[in-house]
Amino acid sequence: MAAIPKIISQRLQAMAELRDHPDANLLTAFVERSLKSAERVRVLEHLAACSSCREVVSFSAMPETSTVVSLAPSASSWLFWPALRWGAAVACVVVVGAVVTLHQKREPQQIAAVVTEGRSAAARIPEANTADQFARTHKAAASNPEDANHPVAPASPVEMADARPGSPLAAVVPGRAKDALAEPQNDQSDKFGTTNYAAMTSLAPRWTLSADGTLQRSLDTGATWQTIVVSSKTVFRALAANDLDIWVGGSAGALFHSSDAGEHWTQVRPIANGEALEDDIVGVEFTDTLHGKLTSSAEETWITADAGQTWQKQ
Amino acid sequence: MRKDDAQSGVDLSPGLGSVMTELYEKSRGAEFGVTREQFDGVLGEIARKYLPADAAHHDLRELYASLRAEELALARACAAGHEHAWEVFLTRYRAKLYDIAGYITKESSTARELADSIYAELYGTATRDGQRTSKLASYTGRGSLEGWLRTVMMQEHVNRYRRQRRLVSLDEETEEGTQFATPEPEPAIAIDPRVEAAIDEVLAALPAEDRFVLASYFLDERTLAEIARTLGVHESTISRKVDKLAKSLRKQILAALGRRGMSRRQALEAIEVDVRDLRVNIRSRLAQETGGAAFSKKKVEAPAGEGS
Repeated sequence: MAAIPKIISQRLQAMAELRDHPDANLLTAFVERSLKSAERVRVLEHLAACSSCREVVSFSAMPETSTVVSLAPSASSWLFWPALRWGAAVACVVVVGAVVTLHQKREPQQIAAVVTEGRSAAARIPEANTADQFARTHKAAASNPEDANHPVAPASPVEMADARPGSPLAAVVPGRAKDALAEPQNDQSDKFGTTNYAAMTSLAPRWTLSADGTLQRSLDTGATWQTIVVSSKTVFRALAANDLDIWVGGSAGALFHSSDAGEHWTQVRPIANGEALEDDIVGVEFTDTLHGKLTSSAEETWITADAGQTWQKQ
Repeated sequence: MRKDDAQSGVDLSPGLGSVMTELYEKSRGAEFGVTREQFDGVLGEIARKYLPADAAHHDLRELYASLRAEELALARACAAGHEHAWEVFLTRYRAKLYDIAGYITKESSTARELADSIYAELYGTATRDGQRTSKLASYTGRGSLEGWLRTVMMQEHVNRYRRQRRLVSLDEETEEGTQFATPEPEPAIAIDPRVEAAIDEVLAALPAEDRFVLASYFLDERTLAEIARTLGVHESTISRKVDKLAKSLRKQILAALGRRGMSRRQALEAIEVDVRDLRVNIRSRLAQETGGAAFSKKKVEAPAGEGS
């Protein structure tokens, strides 16, 4: 890799000056690429000279793909009663055991169901999809633990839709676009029949983009991640998850939308005044199902107020 | 014009009313007990913080449109002690706080301590003039609330680490021999001030992003992937940029030295001497000054065998 003479490093270091640090709001906006160009340059000027702030933004920009320590919030007081704590532990073991048993019984039937269904996503039964997804995930993890973070991804949007759970996802959790989390709907237990199965599917999916620009999803709160191939030709650089709506954008103006939490994907072509968006999409932000904003690498802002049907360029 | 707006010197009312109304509705402020007047006050405060007094309406509209209105209202309602807002906040972010702390510290007891400390600041255990002050009152909605929590927590972690380093006991230093360690010798060859001036000139002329990349890569020893993630570009883009910068810096410095009356041979010698001479020293100096191994896996000692 490239090297520079030591004296350049020395002078680079000497340029550091103690100045007012940008507040956490600006650093966050920098990491999430929501700063205007002039503000971004000012923050970069500071970062170039401030190792502390560089540490902060570097960590803030990291996807939560490897939470080493899993910490639950402090337990409420009644849980300190030892009998209840042990009781809760035993109950967890029983529930997990039941889930695994159910899962093993259903797996062959589900795989067969998917094969016979072919590619007719519209006719697919939610249970089959969900179970198939979990079967694939669990099989991948079991057969090769090292690959658990990258199970075999389907090769097309259609196949990806095949692999998706039957949308056991709903409630919004506003958060970072790059690391959005969708929580399960409360009515999923009815939808999937059994409480245990609902418990299994209630794992909240998290979405993120990998360093090489692929879409990834975690069904186990970030312990393992699987690559979701929406478009093999696109390097994705921006993601927004809002309720069931997932928007992901990337190279050459490629923009994909799923309105069912990733089960089906549609490519959206942003066109304003007859001109299509050709630059890379570097920022996607949707405040609700209709209103959204794209930021391009040319620092243009494209706005829609009708879920991507029409666009305005700013 | 309202009082807050007058203070900012920016007339927020004409043409911005509809924007602010839409933003307030989007914020669900009423649900969290934030009135329209309070919300407008917060917007005025944010405008004063980030825009000059003579900012154009277009800039104001753009700033407001970029705000995370719902998260802003939630944070400010929490800071004001609204019970329902706290319920919503805890439901969404409590577990994440602990997850983020675990991710940052990689150690359970430290993580819990960090998360508890931040949680106390968010709740506002400290009082000023009899008023509870919550850190959430400083959230301005420029980025996501979760991202802000990550940043705040990382800042606190960095501060703690720095404080901890300053509190290393004399005993420990003595045991490690650092108290009596022979200081690293300064470079034997005096650096021509023209070399420093030329390098400073070239570095100062670089775009801020390029200097950020150089500092991240060569001083902090961040990986290409880490830098790429921070800037939101592909790793190969950073790789190409580092290569290009390393080459062009040398060329530009030689040119700058030429303008200062150095022959090409003298200029080359000046740079090459420094390369050999400073190889060991500077690396260890940078590691000390930039905060050390706790934050960067690559901050290792310089190869002992190198250098003159």
